[in-house]
Amino acid sequence: MPDSTFLDATELVLNMGPQHPSTHGVLRVILKLDGEKVIGTECVIGYLHRGIEKIAENRTYAQFAPYVDRMDYVAAVSNGLGYCLAVEKLLGVEVPPRAQAVRVILTELNRIASHLIWLGTHALDVGAITPLFYCMREREEILNIFEKYCGARLTTHAFRIGGLQYETYDTFEQDVRAFCDMFLPKVDEYEELLTGNRIWIGRLRNVGILTAEECKAYGVTGPLLRAAGVKWDLRKAQPYSGYEQYDFEIPTGTIGDSYDRYLVRIQEMRQSVRIIRQALDGLPGGPIMGKVPKVIKPPVGEVYVSIEAPKGELGYYIVSDGSTQPYRVRVRPPSFVNLQALDKMCRGALVADVVVVIGTIDIVLGEVDR
Amino acid sequence: MAVTPWEDELTRQLQEKFGEQILEFSSYLGQNFLVARPEAVIPILEYLKAEAQFDYLVDVTAVDYPERPERFELVYILYSFERNQRIRIKTRIPEGFRPATAVPVYPTANWLEREVFDMFGIEFQGHPDMRRILLPEDWTGHPLRKDVSILDMDQRWVRQHLGIESGQ
Amino acid sequence: MKQGGALRRFLRKVLFIDLIEGLWVTFRYQQPKYIYTEQYPAERPKIAERYRGAPRLNTNPETGETLCIACNLCALACPENLIVVDSERDEKTRRKVLTTFTYDTSRCMFCGLCEDACPVDALELTQDFELASYSREGAIWDRQMLEEGPRPTKYAY
Ligand code: SF4
Ligand code: SF4
Repeated sequence: MPDSTFLDATELVLNMGPQHPSTHGVLRVILKLDGEKVIGTECVIGYLHRGIEKIAENRTYAQFAPYVDRMDYVAAVSNGLGYCLAVEKLLGVEVPPRAQAVRVILTELNRIASHLIWLGTHALDVGAITPLFYCMREREEILNIFEKYCGARLTTHAFRIGGLQYETYDTFEQDVRAFCDMFLPKVDEYEELLTGNRIWIGRLRNVGILTAEECKAYGVTGPLLRAAGVKWDLRKAQPYSGYEQYDFEIPTGTIGDSYDRYLVRIQEMRQSVRIIRQALDGLPGGPIMGKVPKVIKPPVGEVYVSIEAPKGELGYYIVSDGSTQPYRVRVRPPSFVNLQALDKMCRGALVADVVVVIGTIDIVLGEVDR
Repeated sequence: MAVTPWEDELTRQLQEKFGEQILEFSSYLGQNFLVARPEAVIPILEYLKAEAQFDYLVDVTAVDYPERPERFELVYILYSFERNQRIRIKTRIPEGFRPATAVPVYPTANWLEREVFDMFGIEFQGHPDMRRILLPEDWTGHPLRKDVSILDMDQRWVRQHLGIESGQ
Repeated sequence: MKQGGALRRFLRKVLFIDLIEGLWVTFRYQQPKYIYTEQYPAERPKIAERYRGAPRLNTNPETGETLCIACNLCALACPENLIVVDSERDEKTRRKVLTTFTYDTSRCMFCGLCEDACPVDALELTQDFELASYSREGAIWDRQMLEEGPRPTKYAY
């Protein structure tokens, strides 16, 4: 018997990333292949680990707020909202209705921006270049609104504990309304490009299926869970920041494949516009800052508050020891937990599908690694 | 607002089933939690999943209190889609104690427990893949422990892999 | 009916109707109102009024004296601890007088907490965005630089 050579091997180990255009950042995936078939994956993460949770323990409550923007940097406003809500709950501060409504408007705009980035890059991964340009064009309008509102485009630091730092600017309402009117036909345009597109359907249908049971077992939330047919959205299930006043639907899919997730996210963008319009119509006046003590010193205790971020359930578990600095801040990152299901979704698929599956989870490595 | 006792149908069931194993049922700011003995955590998770529809493990994390004899507090956050309810299960463990893994009950605990191991050095017994997840594999030290300063880093690792004297 | 369809399809083909339609879309975007390209640095883009960019230490426009009262609140508010304020007490007026003020822009994340903390609006984040420098030292701004603002190269075209 001759020595076995590599020709006898049936398994091939392929390294994808950390510098790979379709891993959406510095994600390294080790693929175990049998021909074109994936028989196992392993994610190597942590390249972007900055120790956000450790930083939190060394900053005051107000000082930590800008850091949370750096986790999921395409949805910085949502991160800030979750953190502020958690500290407010710990402090027992009531946020005035106007601040709540403006928060909802900005968060929903951010949800649209995040989904646009997802749609553009996902389409690019699959081979369609045009949607990326379209999505970036519309996202630009949202970023312009952010810039005018709070002075920054990406890491906005838009909210403060207890409410808002900035009053809306003069043409805020017009700008947001103009965006809503402009945006809905654009969503139809994306759908025209993609929804019936045979290549798009061919690449996405039945790829990366995750059933409702599997989603729950793996803790997968957000559009992935909804695409599997579970009508669950924290904005409805446990409303925060006044979401109970708004009328909107939770879009769901049927089989939980990549194509369903695409449809769910497209519908979510439309629903977001609906929420924004309602919030604008009922925008109350009044103060924008609640009664927050000058020195933020929450009583001893702990709290877990979570919101529906564009990627899923984003939770903050904050332990206070009664001092000005949090004793412990734990972030429950949706991307990190959702990425764990990658192995489940990729097993038995083809190599080319791995790219689609990574895209469809919608991860942001800043949040996975923190 | 102070910590208040938490009593309802679920706590009665749990009390009946686990008795002395559960030390405390409490509620703070409307959020319910229970404190259990470390050995009882996995049976409680199993029970809650099977009997009370707590089918989603939201998070596993730890908090370090170096001055306590039982240094770490492990926290499991559970959610039930059916009841739209969230509870926390806490347990206190000393340094070096190896709690049982929750992976057989909830597959999602895999990475979450790895992160706890990475950050606090709590090893989970029976975990399929107990390695570091965010930090490099040959790193020493567990950064979220309270005795590690924010400026500390593994200088040996920095010298060896980055070829510079110090990471500061 | 069927024949008409075939004839139309044939005509569309020989007259390149599809191609012309496609090109029409392309050329429509030549219209000035669709142009997104910015002619930076010849033309500086319009920045939002609230933009948080280069820091500035405001002075009284009439006397040229600094507005800063050296209270150190900005340095305390900053999460990155990058502002250093030094002062000495004026013996005559018993007031604190600012001596040095350094601001390390290389570590700043432009979160705006320092300008919110300033009680007299002396420190402000302005609409200047050209902060690049060839050295690390160049990113550390002293009081003079903060009062005068950065001087980016002006390009003539
Ligand atoms: S903008 Fe933020 S990081 Fe920069 S100096 Fe001010 S407080 Fe510090
Ligand atoms: S907060 Fe304002 S007045 Fe006080 S030291 Fe800073 S710049 Fe000067």
